[in-house]
Amino acid sequence: MILVIFVIFGISIIMIFPAISEAQSEQKTFVTHSGAVVTTSGEVLDPLYTVSSVEFDPDEYLRNFEYGRLSVSETGQTIRDYTIIAEDDKIQEISPGIFYNVWTFNGTVPGPTIRATEGDLVRVHFINNGSKEHTIHFHGIHPAGMDGVFEPVGGNGGQFIYEFEAGPVGVHPYHCHVMPLEEHIVHGLYGVFIVDPKEKRSPADEMVMVLNGLDTDFDTENNFYAVNTIPFYYQHHPIQINTNELIRVYVVNMVEFDPINNLHLHGNLYKYYPTGTDLVPSFYTDMITLSQTERGIMEFEYEYPGKYLFHAHKVEFSEKGWVGIFLVKDNPDKNSQKVEYGT
Amino acid sequence: MELSDNSSKIKIIVSGLIPFAFVIIMMAYIFGPGADLLDLGIPLPEITIEKVDFHDSEIRATVRNTGPIPVEISMADVNDRIQPAAVEPDRFLERFESALVRIPFEWNEAEPYIIGITIGDGTRFEKEIEAAAPALEPTIDLAIFFAIIGTYVGIIPIMIGLLWLPFIKKISKQKFHFFLALTAGLLFFLAIDSIEEAVDVSNESLAGSFNGILLIATVIVLSFLGLLYSGNKLVSRANSSKLAKPVAIALMISIGIGLHNFGEGLAIGASVGLGSVAFSTFLIVGFALHNTTEGIAIAAPMSRGKLMIRKLAAMGMIAGAPAIFGAWLGGFVYSPFTSIIFLSIGAGAIFQVIIVILKWIRDEGDSTLSSASVASGFAIGMLVMYLTSILI
Ligand SMILES: [Cu+2]
Repeated sequence: MILVIFVIFGISIIMIFPAISEAQSEQKTFVTHSGAVVTTSGEVLDPLYTVSSVEFDPDEYLRNFEYGRLSVSETGQTIRDYTIIAEDDKIQEISPGIFYNVWTFNGTVPGPTIRATEGDLVRVHFINNGSKEHTIHFHGIHPAGMDGVFEPVGGNGGQFIYEFEAGPVGVHPYHCHVMPLEEHIVHGLYGVFIVDPKEKRSPADEMVMVLNGLDTDFDTENNFYAVNTIPFYYQHHPIQINTNELIRVYVVNMVEFDPINNLHLHGNLYKYYPTGTDLVPSFYTDMITLSQTERGIMEFEYEYPGKYLFHAHKVEFSEKGWVGIFLVKDNPDKNSQKVEYGT
Repeated sequence: MELSDNSSKIKIIVSGLIPFAFVIIMMAYIFGPGADLLDLGIPLPEITIEKVDFHDSEIRATVRNTGPIPVEISMADVNDRIQPAAVEPDRFLERFESALVRIPFEWNEAEPYIIGITIGDGTRFEKEIEAAAPALEPTIDLAIFFAIIGTYVGIIPIMIGLLWLPFIKKISKQKFHFFLALTAGLLFFLAIDSIEEAVDVSNESLAGSFNGILLIATVIVLSFLGLLYSGNKLVSRANSSKLAKPVAIALMISIGIGLHNFGEGLAIGASVGLGSVAFSTFLIVGFALHNTTEGIAIAAPMSRGKLMIRKLAAMGMIAGAPAIFGAWLGGFVYSPFTSIIFLSIGAGAIFQVIIVILKWIRDEGDSTLSSASVASGFAIGMLVMYLTSILI
């Protein structure tokens, strides 16, 4: 009996002094944003400053637009054919060491940014390779049968063709609309649909920013927030732009669970076009507030080179990943590299 | 003759081995070809943040893998805001392995914090700290402080309680039984109190996989049986030697109370360590008051022997001094697991002492244990403890 008590004490002592025998070998140091220097023999957990080697590339996504396969109808209408494949079994490292099951359109969250000109015939060939039913519900104007709500597409190869005329002008989200809707959206089945006006917008350096969140432990609260899915990504990889060049950002808020999101730009103000349906800006501001799937177009130019933050002014979101940097490079040649969009 | 003797021996051995062989075959089947049978449900990872210490510009969390599968620690946060951190020795934890997560953070004293740890599958675990206080550094000054507190809580009150001895010595057998029963009542209350404390610690800080309640029950029973066995040996040896039976019983009571006071010391040390000044003061005053009754518990059996001041003082030390060791351990190396173990041992020890006291009353003539003095003594013992527990 005494022996038993000794054994219990022995175990207790082992429990009190965890890993005391671990050799204090190699020392690493890291510096935090508050300037604290930490020396450790262990490993560094640092999603804020460690460049993550994630599979999804937010840099590529940022300026990538898909115009579809072009053809012209008998009546002379431009036809754009797109293929979007849904899947729901992908495990992706979304922050260093954290793996999450994303549901994807064409393999990424968000799905591809598809783009058309007002009045074009949009044909989306939808293939559902997931295990559950999925659809695509486009915001915008289209016939009832093309709404992606009452036409669930079965998994394991189910198909549907969404066909409608592009409109109205602006930036719109698209997303799966199968119940339970929250689950399908939060897992990542959404993307951006841009409708350009017939008389093109002025040339600019254009980019897409989808504000999203990830509930990695399914407690209906986001564990991460991000612009374009990967937390802190554009902080590690600042978005390079030029001085005196028009920047146009299509912003779409896809955050679930939290009633609002917002976007604050440092060292500048932007012209803001809510939903992008009006060609005249409604605000000149450095701060907009966005509810679920609210979106708009921001236009600005930087006069001074350097680093400028952009982030959610809801600080919780920015401290959980929704923060980025514009690295503005000096561009002596005004009116240089402006790009025209819409083909 | 020799031959048949050998063959019968072999028969016995073989008959013992055959079922054993079947057990091995069964286990081999379950873990081999029949392994599918064991594939029940999905094993979920689980970690427990056992302890959070606040150091200079740094928060340190002790994290243990308390789930059925290995886990990887991937991220730390403070108040749900992601922070860079270091994890030592490394981020991969096998079952029951633990690691230290060091989070550089300019924390503010007395403010509440929630420390979160996220593992590889994105699950976040958290622990709430009511008020941040600097982690206790094991300095000589602090060790002396704890020793003084332990003396005030453990030794002095018990010594005061022992002063009842001359009074108890002068009373009749009936009244003496009353005091013995009173002692049993007091102790019974203390045992329940210890169990409650252990359950509280288990609910707050121990991972579910440790099965806190069953751990408490197991340790109580083991310590009870262990002390019952060794206690009886002590008494039977006492009968045939110089050591008088009252002394042996008083010694057992002292040991039981000592373990209990060790738990009290742990509680005080841990609460000082957690920075809750009001709570630790409350504990110190409360324990000091009720520990005077522990002096009565020791004094009662001793009143039937010769007055032995030295032995009495030694027993006061045995019962009281563990409070000092408890305060050291609780303050410097607090661990929920060990405090549950100690509190449970204390409870088991007390139950054993109660059995011994009741047996003694029976041996002295009250065979049914239902006389007015025994019943009222036990009841008053519990009532006194209950009332003082409300007052303090
Ligand atoms: Cu879906």
